[in-house]
Amino acid sequence: MIDHLIVLLVVLPILGAAVPPLASLRYDRVGWAVATATALGHAALAGALAWTVWTDGVVRYAVGGFVAPYGIELVADGLTILLVALISAVSLGVLAYARHAGPHENSFYSQFLLLVAGLSGMTVTGDVFNLYVFLEITGLAAYGLVASGPGARSAVAALKYLIIGTIGASLYLLGVGYALAATGTLNMADLSDKLAAAGYDSTLVLTAFGLIVAGLLVKVALFPIHTWQPDAYADSPDSVSAFISALVSTVSAYALARVLFSVFTVDFLEAVPIARQALVAVACVSIVAGSALAVAQSDVQRMLAYSSVSQFGLVIAGFAIATPLAVVGATVHLVGHAVMKGGLFAATGIIERKTGATTVGGYAGIAGRAPAATGAFTLLALAMVGVPPAVGFMGKWYIVLGAVNAGSWPVVAVLLASTLLTLAYFARLAERLYFAKATIAPEAVAADGGERVSTAMIVTVVVAAVLAVGLAAAVPVIDQLIDMTVFELMLQ
Amino acid sequence: MTDVTSLRPLFAVLVSAVAIPVILSLRSRPNVREGVTLTVAATKFALVASMVPGVLSGTTYVTRIGELGDGISLVLRADPLGILFALLASLLWIVTSFYSIGYMRGLSEHAQTRYFASFAASLASAVGVAFGANLVTLFVFYELLTVSTYPLVTHDETDEARAAGRKYLTYTFGGGVAVLGGTALVYVLTGTTAFTPGGIEALAGADPTLARVAFGLLAGGFGVKAALMPVHSWLPDAMVAPTPVSGLLHAVAVVKSGIFGIARVVLDVFGTETMAELGVAAPLAVVAAITLLTASVIALRQDNLKRRLAYSTISQLSYIVLGLALLEGEALVGGLLHIPAHAFMKLTLFFCAGAIHVETHTDDISDMAGIGDRMPLTMAAFAVAAAGMAGIPLIAGFVSKWYIVIGALEGGGLVFAGALLVSGVLNIAYFWPIVYQAYFESPDGHDKKPLVTAALGGRGSPRADGGHEAATHASADETAAHGDDHEAATHEGHDDHHGGPPAGGWDVRGWRGAESTWFMLGPILTAASLSVLLGVVPRTAVFLRIIETVVGSLPGVMG
Amino acid sequence: MTLDLLTTHYNYYAVVLLLGIGLYTVIESRNLVKKVIGMNVFQTGIFLFFITLAYRAGGNPPVVTEGAGPYVSPLPHVLILTAIVVGVSLTAVALALVVRVYSEYGTLDEHTLEELYHD
Repeated sequence: MIDHLIVLLVVLPILGAAVPPLASLRYDRVGWAVATATALGHAALAGALAWTVWTDGVVRYAVGGFVAPYGIELVADGLTILLVALISAVSLGVLAYARHAGPHENSFYSQFLLLVAGLSGMTVTGDVFNLYVFLEITGLAAYGLVASGPGARSAVAALKYLIIGTIGASLYLLGVGYALAATGTLNMADLSDKLAAAGYDSTLVLTAFGLIVAGLLVKVALFPIHTWQPDAYADSPDSVSAFISALVSTVSAYALARVLFSVFTVDFLEAVPIARQALVAVACVSIVAGSALAVAQSDVQRMLAYSSVSQFGLVIAGFAIATPLAVVGATVHLVGHAVMKGGLFAATGIIERKTGATTVGGYAGIAGRAPAATGAFTLLALAMVGVPPAVGFMGKWYIVLGAVNAGSWPVVAVLLASTLLTLAYFARLAERLYFAKATIAPEAVAADGGERVSTAMIVTVVVAAVLAVGLAAAVPVIDQLIDMTVFELMLQ
Repeated sequence: MTDVTSLRPLFAVLVSAVAIPVILSLRSRPNVREGVTLTVAATKFALVASMVPGVLSGTTYVTRIGELGDGISLVLRADPLGILFALLASLLWIVTSFYSIGYMRGLSEHAQTRYFASFAASLASAVGVAFGANLVTLFVFYELLTVSTYPLVTHDETDEARAAGRKYLTYTFGGGVAVLGGTALVYVLTGTTAFTPGGIEALAGADPTLARVAFGLLAGGFGVKAALMPVHSWLPDAMVAPTPVSGLLHAVAVVKSGIFGIARVVLDVFGTETMAELGVAAPLAVVAAITLLTASVIALRQDNLKRRLAYSTISQLSYIVLGLALLEGEALVGGLLHIPAHAFMKLTLFFCAGAIHVETHTDDISDMAGIGDRMPLTMAAFAVAAAGMAGIPLIAGFVSKWYIVIGALEGGGLVFAGALLVSGVLNIAYFWPIVYQAYFESPDGHDKKPLVTAALGGRGSPRADGGHEAATHASADETAAHGDDHEAATHEGHDDHHGGPPAGGWDVRGWRGAESTWFMLGPILTAASLSVLLGVVPRTAVFLRIIETVVGSLPGVMG
Repeated sequence: MTLDLLTTHYNYYAVVLLLGIGLYTVIESRNLVKKVIGMNVFQTGIFLFFITLAYRAGGNPPVVTEGAGPYVSPLPHVLILTAIVVGVSLTAVALALVVRVYSEYGTLDEHTLEELYHD
């Protein structure tokens, strides 16, 4: 059992996902219970795996007994267990939220568990083709979840997401094909050796890098290939936007880091500086453009979506700089952003239910009507801006240190400016919430029947807000986890 | 110096942070709520004061909160420089708390709970800034201070207040970003950000260009809150906040945290010697000198009393920066001493402005002729503090200015000494008319104020650059000035809330406190007495002794 | 030389052509069903790329029998089998969404949908 922990992490949610459709034959609303039981099991497995890695070091597992590089290998190292723990924690949080907020259909929870399986698979796999498969499983589940909203608008958003996401995954697959042509292997560890042997200046290797990175960046949703994201986040149910905004792009960015450091390695980045510069440039453009677009939004959820475009620019910049400090910073921000953005989306859900406000204008003067949710929203927004000592500051500090170390001054400037850019779109919300006259009359909502909000929903949001500050204390742990990860980083 | 591990610095920070939820939960019981504020303020002051004797005898109290990773070690350390700022802020918080109660209730302000909670948060941050033992800890509290004072600036919830709040956040966060950049650079250059008296050694040997950039970022970043020109304009706009906020935060805690940051950078990060080698002190001194002169000139044309005080603050803060930038022992002492000196005096002035506002709803200087009849004690305190600002002996401002001028002369900075003296004259020019007209003129017969009302250069349409209020008043004055019944025309149509004397001229109230509540008069008189105390017996009043300890511990500086 | 490249690499030209057609359709077509078709063409291009990658002149199908070698590489075939399954599921989901959009709005034209949104 203990040997199979890592594979169970993927198998368990897949099995769980099969239960609700079967149960639908007899029962209506067992989806939530099944999903929660499975997620708890997933959390236990994640905890056990984390403990094993923490005490015994990296875990490698050959699926079906076929030894790498011929079979599929699953690998769990420091970075993996961090992401696995994040997936578990966020799933449980979203389930607590969705208990009341819905959707309540059994099929929803089936897709939910499928998404958990896909994300876990992306995290633990040590094989580039296997990564493609899990990328698509994640995608399929995410498209379904986005479409689970009421009204066909969510279906349009899901379709847009599906088409762009598929193109992205296909580009990735094409890149894998090039890598396969250059090396004849798909195992990450094996690839890293054989790519070096093939020569970093070979056209095959360079093309493979370009396609794989481009494909994953579509999934991460950096500017200018972010266009699927705002619709997908804004038009899906609140539980879904909280879940996918917290995890889908996050795990894709993790996959990108995996590919950068475990497959192509830092030697490649050193040997081909243009690759690194291009990635840094795209990230920086994304930071600025994402913020600018966020400022221009009037819908709060769309604003948060564009904020993700900007924040992931920060993460990718950290990974691309590739010094140990920058990578720690990018990882901290990756995890921190997941918690903060998930919490922000969940908070917008509560605020909408209680006050009917969804737009920046509508947020005026409603702080008193949903004090806990708006308070948490403000705290999370401040953490996102990077007010110390919240986790948003910690990540930024490390990335800036890394950039200063690497001597990339333009990047330092953009990183520092990103604080002000983030402030630009969050400050106006905080200002409206607390210091402006309400534009929505309280009676308007009461007439609508102002939906009830469960305690669990509020607790979820408040916990996210507390974590946004508390996670700062976990930074030394993350630092240590990066040390336990199987890739070499740039020397300072 | 010996380091003693102690939780006292941490408690001094936390005591008011812990009070925030308590204050928020007492929304419906204002008396208990204000009781909590006062208790906490007293406790905070007691905690800080209890460390003063130890610090004077060479002990520093250190609390290590934890290492949060590379370069981020949160450490609080009560050293002489820190205790100077913490003592000042916590002492004046008590005074301001009493005043706030009188002010807020006198105006029946809304959202008083938020106001008092934000105040407690601001003070926790301010003491955190004081005790931060390295640039990172300082930065953490510096940013928290920005956040916790924002609700106070925007308190009015009017468009004007929101605009001021937006400007405030933009400027101060912009400064914060520069500080962050500078901090990261210092850390990468030296591997530490811990404050070391005399400067971080490794910085002296670092790449001079990068070191200069780091200094520029740090000084520029802290300079925003210190309201150095050209990044000062948030301060006059922030005067839209309630007066106790303008008093404690925008004359003491917030702006002084910027000054304090510069002091830390000059004394404990770069050190005077490295500063001299890098040649970065002179530009800072020039900026400070230009600021203190320009701001004084602008103050002359402000008709709104609080805005005039704000420009006066900008000018006075630059005295401190100038003192620091001169790098001379005497000038350093003077600069640092001007931190408490200016705090006492400016607090008095703001409190007076606030008392006038609460009692008579008068905000503009042109409406204040003869107000000495109505508020004799207040205007007396105002006169004392204003005299101190100008550097009249026996009041705090004289002592600090004396030291700075001596330092400037010793260091050969004749220009700077000249700038200081000219500014002193300008101080008299913009304060004396207020005092003079209050006592020796009446609403019906007062002199014209060409400086405020006339157009610059004497041509064109009249326009004072003192915000909308001031501008409308000025034009009203201008049109009325042609007729004989000047007063009637000016104030016709003003309702009670728009200020100015009532129809029959000011009431005459006695000198025994009938003019206002003691909640306001008490703090005003306390602050005024403190500024006299510091002017007469600066050593006994502890602050000068702390400062001499600070300067004495700097290697290579004559104490 | 050029002729040589043309004759030996014609499979790659086919791949590039399919990718191009697919991507163009996805971006340019206003009809949602056509977009899905474009997506499929794009994927097919990639499948073709993998399969021809495995080709080896004179190779036999990778069914190991005595003396039958050399074989073509079996790995890409296996991969593409998986990828086709993925592709089919994606198409199914996409078409299901298309059906839902059509039953709601009565149109599959992207611009018309945009206009509906703004009303």
